[in-house]
Amino acid sequence: MKEKLALVFNDYIKFPAFILTHPFDGFDDLKTQKKGKLSVAIIFMVLYALLRIFTYQYEGFLINERNPLNLNNLQEILSVVLIVGLFVTANWSVTTLMEGKGKFKEIFIVTGYALFPLIIIGFPGLALSNFLTLEEMPFYTLLMGIAYFLTGWMLFMGILNIHEYGLFKTVLAFIATIVSMLVMIFLGLLFFDLIQQFIAFITAIIEELGLRR
Amino acid sequence: MKLFVWISLLLTLPVNFTVARYNYSYYGDVIHSAPGFTFAQYFNATTLGLNVNNQFTQPEDLIVYGDQIYIVTSGDSALYIINDRFELQLRKTSFDLSAELETQFIEEGKVVAPQTLNKPRGIDVKDTGIYIADTDNKRILKLNFDLEIVMIVDSIDDVTFESVEFEPAKITTDSTGRMYVVASNIYEGILELDTDGSFNRYTGVNPITLTPLEIFQRQFMTEEQISKLERYLPTEYTNVNMSDKNFIYSTSLPSANNDSNMIQLINPKGIDVLKRNGYHIPKGDIQFVVGMNNYVIDGPSRLVDVALYKDGIYTVLDTKRSRLFTYDSEGNLLYINGDAGNQSDRFSEGVALDYLKDRLVVLDRQLNQVIVYEHTEFGNKVNEAIGLYERGEFEAAAVIWEEVLTLNTNYEIAYNGIGKYYLRTGEFDKAIEFFAVGKDKFYYSKAFKQYRNQIIKDNFGYIIGAILLIPIGITTYRVVKKVRKGDELE
Repeated sequence: MKEKLALVFNDYIKFPAFILTHPFDGFDDLKTQKKGKLSVAIIFMVLYALLRIFTYQYEGFLINERNPLNLNNLQEILSVVLIVGLFVTANWSVTTLMEGKGKFKEIFIVTGYALFPLIIIGFPGLALSNFLTLEEMPFYTLLMGIAYFLTGWMLFMGILNIHEYGLFKTVLAFIATIVSMLVMIFLGLLFFDLIQQFIAFITAIIEELGLRR
Repeated sequence: MKLFVWISLLLTLPVNFTVARYNYSYYGDVIHSAPGFTFAQYFNATTLGLNVNNQFTQPEDLIVYGDQIYIVTSGDSALYIINDRFELQLRKTSFDLSAELETQFIEEGKVVAPQTLNKPRGIDVKDTGIYIADTDNKRILKLNFDLEIVMIVDSIDDVTFESVEFEPAKITTDSTGRMYVVASNIYEGILELDTDGSFNRYTGVNPITLTPLEIFQRQFMTEEQISKLERYLPTEYTNVNMSDKNFIYSTSLPSANNDSNMIQLINPKGIDVLKRNGYHIPKGDIQFVVGMNNYVIDGPSRLVDVALYKDGIYTVLDTKRSRLFTYDSEGNLLYINGDAGNQSDRFSEGVALDYLKDRLVVLDRQLNQVIVYEHTEFGNKVNEAIGLYERGEFEAAAVIWEEVLTLNTNYEIAYNGIGKYYLRTGEFDKAIEFFAVGKDKFYYSKAFKQYRNQIIKDNFGYIIGAILLIPIGITTYRVVKKVRKGDELE
């Protein structure tokens, strides 16, 4: 039991923290020694979705401007899935063309691990926001700002290491990824619209046939 | 259960919306609310005993002075005085000159004759006299209470009026007799005329501010292009009303850049000092259909008049949707009344309103009638609680707020009122609860700070103890462990 606990601690806290502080060594371990686990990445994503839901409902009254009646769990979960899915696919498709060494699975794991600072700071920060006054709220905002910054940092270093890129090429890859994400969203919307019109057309024909009978 | 109630309320909203028994919640949702006014009475030409045709048509402005209502009409260009039992006391279309003005006229070689009105659109009555904006005669008449003309203002000594004709539309005066005039096609602000009718200055001027992007764009434009751009005109005032402290309440038309200051309180220095501490900025309806639509009324409210009640409570009139919005001095939306329609208890084109003691009179230009409203029990209680709070009687106010809540549970302002009472008595935990429901972040923060301090103060010993004991405990545990390990090694 104690060993198992130590293993979980190592997987979920110690190793991600090591990556955060030593990005080059850490991501090298993650890639070459297969220390990064898919399960951990998925759990981190689930936790991030949970954090978003909790923030919506339980963020301190003084800073929470969201109407609790508008909370939609499925929407929050789907938006996380969508963002992560889009990013990973877009990054993979871009980096294969840019001679990136990372595999699809590795990009996914890196994205999951990058959420680590957000989770480790976000949950205690969420609790803290309930105990602050209006004048002390900037501390909470700063804390969350740091969390988001660290997440961005980890994602950037992860992509850099996993594909064995230089700094300039990583920036380029990120820009290309965002562009391809936008293209994918555009195509998706186009597809939805077409399907919708197509379905409307079919139903109209069926309706018409029914009336003519 | 609570959620269910909310949802069912939201679902029935379209039905409730048509009769306008609503208010806006903190989140800007339309929620069910009790109305503050109820129909009491109406009067028109028939009830006033005016049987001749074309009398009391197109009334334009109304003002209450003492217990008399003064109305000017543009259909028959007359002044009406009506008493508080809504009986006609006087109808007058032409006015004699006073002895002083007569001698002045003779000196200047003008014809001495009774003066008639031509489509007057504004009136104000103060202790200093009766002021009528005689619009189509392009002049302002000042009458004394014998209804003799004591002063005629027909020319304004300002460059603007070399190209634009002086067409006074609305008028208000301060306690010394200075006149504040809203004139057509004047964008400089509200005209301030001195007691003798000479031009003083423009007040309530709203400078136009361009966004950085607009300034940037203008850098690359030629003069011609700029002249073809949509012109940014400053606020166009629709009405002015002087408070007893000589501050001007004004309403203005909605435009691209005055969304937040459609209602203004202009101090003697000419600066807008209206408090906007409510959930939403006072501007009539907060949610409305935007864009072109032929089937519903779209766009923001078109506020045309403001009436002042006691304790800083004021009511504005939206002529577009025939609604009355009542605010308190802090800018909280208290209650909304809206009765659009052609029946006798409704109005279809409100143009002016004023308080006659506790009753509200609304002038309808299209139906040529005046609707008299009185407060409902709910409205009375709300006003009373606000009055008590203004006078510092917080406990009495809290009791009334409780009663308001039994009439309308959705009323968020009432929760804040009770919360403020608990904050004063030092029951911070209760105060927090009420402020959380009332969504008052500023006072919640204040109460919470006190509450937190209280808890820390009460448990100071334990906290210090924990801070000292835990590290000491951990270190001793480690030392003991080390010592034991050392023992084993030896």
